[in-house]
Amino acid sequence: MTYEIQPVEIPNRQRPHLIQMPAVETPKPIAEAQEQVQPKVQIKDLRFYYKNYEALKGINLTLHDKRVTAFIGPSGCGKSTLLRVLNRIYELYPDQRATGEVLVDGQDILDPRHDLNLLRARIGMVFQKPTPFPMSIYDNVAFGVRLYERLSPRRLDERVEEALRRAALWDEVKDKLRESGLSLSGGQQQRLCIARAIAVKPEILLLDEPASALDPISTQRIEELIADLKSDYCIVIVTHNMQQAARSSDYTAFMYLGQLIEFNTTETIFTHPHERQTEDYITGRFG
Amino acid sequence: MEARLDDPAAVTAMGLAPRVMRRQRLGDALFRGLTKAFAIGVLLLLGGVMVALVNGALPAFRKFGLGFLISDAWNPVKDNFGAVPAMYGTVVTSVIAMVLAVPVAFGIAVFLTELCPPVLRRPIGMMIELLAAIPSIIYGVWGLLVVAPVLQTTLQPFLIDTLGNVPLIGDLFSGAPYGLGVLTAGMILAVMVLPFIAAVIRDVFLTVPAMLRESAYGMGATTAEVVRAIVIPHSRVGIVGGVMLGLGRALGETMAVTFVIGNDHHIHASLLATGTSIAATLANEFTEAVSNIYTSSLIALGLILFVITFVVLAGANVLLWRLSAREST
Repeated sequence: MTYEIQPVEIPNRQRPHLIQMPAVETPKPIAEAQEQVQPKVQIKDLRFYYKNYEALKGINLTLHDKRVTAFIGPSGCGKSTLLRVLNRIYELYPDQRATGEVLVDGQDILDPRHDLNLLRARIGMVFQKPTPFPMSIYDNVAFGVRLYERLSPRRLDERVEEALRRAALWDEVKDKLRESGLSLSGGQQQRLCIARAIAVKPEILLLDEPASALDPISTQRIEELIADLKSDYCIVIVTHNMQQAARSSDYTAFMYLGQLIEFNTTETIFTHPHERQTEDYITGRFG
Repeated sequence: MEARLDDPAAVTAMGLAPRVMRRQRLGDALFRGLTKAFAIGVLLLLGGVMVALVNGALPAFRKFGLGFLISDAWNPVKDNFGAVPAMYGTVVTSVIAMVLAVPVAFGIAVFLTELCPPVLRRPIGMMIELLAAIPSIIYGVWGLLVVAPVLQTTLQPFLIDTLGNVPLIGDLFSGAPYGLGVLTAGMILAVMVLPFIAAVIRDVFLTVPAMLRESAYGMGATTAEVVRAIVIPHSRVGIVGGVMLGLGRALGETMAVTFVIGNDHHIHASLLATGTSIAATLANEFTEAVSNIYTSSLIALGLILFVITFVVLAGANVLLWRLSAREST
């Protein structure tokens, strides 16, 4: 099975903004690019510990609004961990802690005073495997909305339909909204999870290897979906699939052993990587 | 692979002597036969118990007919027996035990899996399991000497003064506070079945995939919302199983109930009054049963307990089957 590599549409593609920087330092977008692209998340000297093991060793990174950023790197390099810091889901586990700063719109979300549930409402997450809740398709999508908003049944119906349409699932499920979310196929379940995440209108969408458990056709649909959702969200995607990163992201961060080795536009990373390790990894020489 | 093993040439080519092959096959057959014998042995035992019970109960059913099941008589002097008081006590004490134990077990399971600091998780879990290790006779003595006198002076007068005056349910809490009685037996049973139910529910809660839990927390749900919307629906089959395990124990529990229920073959409207249960009747009276019909009546009670337990288990299975049928649509 081969599938077409479609260029990702970037509005200002005419001048891909190169971001030159030494490893482990905040990238400084050139002034022209800064006008177009708003930084949404600024990560400053982020360190992360599982008990005493340091899984992230001082990450500095800026994520841009309305762009897709891919985290790539071999297993255990910390890319999923970095994602899990962004919505503080790691706090479910008492052995795990993070230090440093993660500024979302200038506010440090690692600050314990920052309201956790509201943070998570602003940041949607989709996992490696589809995680439909044990309830109907409709209730799955309405789940998050009901947590935060009191909508009339008609408004809620609209919201569910809107989310399912955006997730390109509506036509397949509109006649069986009352059936269990578990009755869908794997690819449909994953789109259901994306619909559930965007139904609450988050600002940031975190995708942790969203297509790794899916067949190529479902994968393609998810990638199309990401390209479509990009116009509204700051999207972060963790992937093991080089082609996927090349196809669907605007920026790519290469991580290795808990460190950010290189961060740049995807085009640069995949055509002229500055670091030897990056080049070795994307050409398949290690990882 | 199997086809090749049947082919002598291939076997020789693999370097396995036919002798080795034969030995392995013999060993397989022996092992299969042995395990099958164990499994069938249990079935035979069950069948034997049923035959013995039915056989022993026949004289009673011949004399009283199905009237045994609806009669509340219990007169050893005149050899006139009926099963209703014991059945009533068995069912009511078990229901009380379930009503009290299930919500508490639920709370314990939620606390241990979702809220408890990890340092306390194991100690608390072990303490609860230790509760299950206390022999039932200890519960009986404790119920008789400690719990009953306390209830007699505290909870029971309180219930009589408050709920006793409420229309419709007032009769359930009327009469004098004896200490002993159906309610006390139910409460002791609740303590006894609690660890079983809590342990099972905790274990099924732990089977909820971490990713599913995380995605619900990731939506910004609170612990209560995650438990209600994700954890409970995901583990309801196991929850029903745990509750049924507890119910099965409560129905058959003998010593503790015998100590505190009062052993009174009369049905009283009040839960505070004394009563009896099937198991308590058997334990108390088997040695005193002088006539054949008395002994047979007691065995018939045992058969009824067997049937009640069987019906409860069958009901649980039907419930589970319907739950899974609904889920797959």
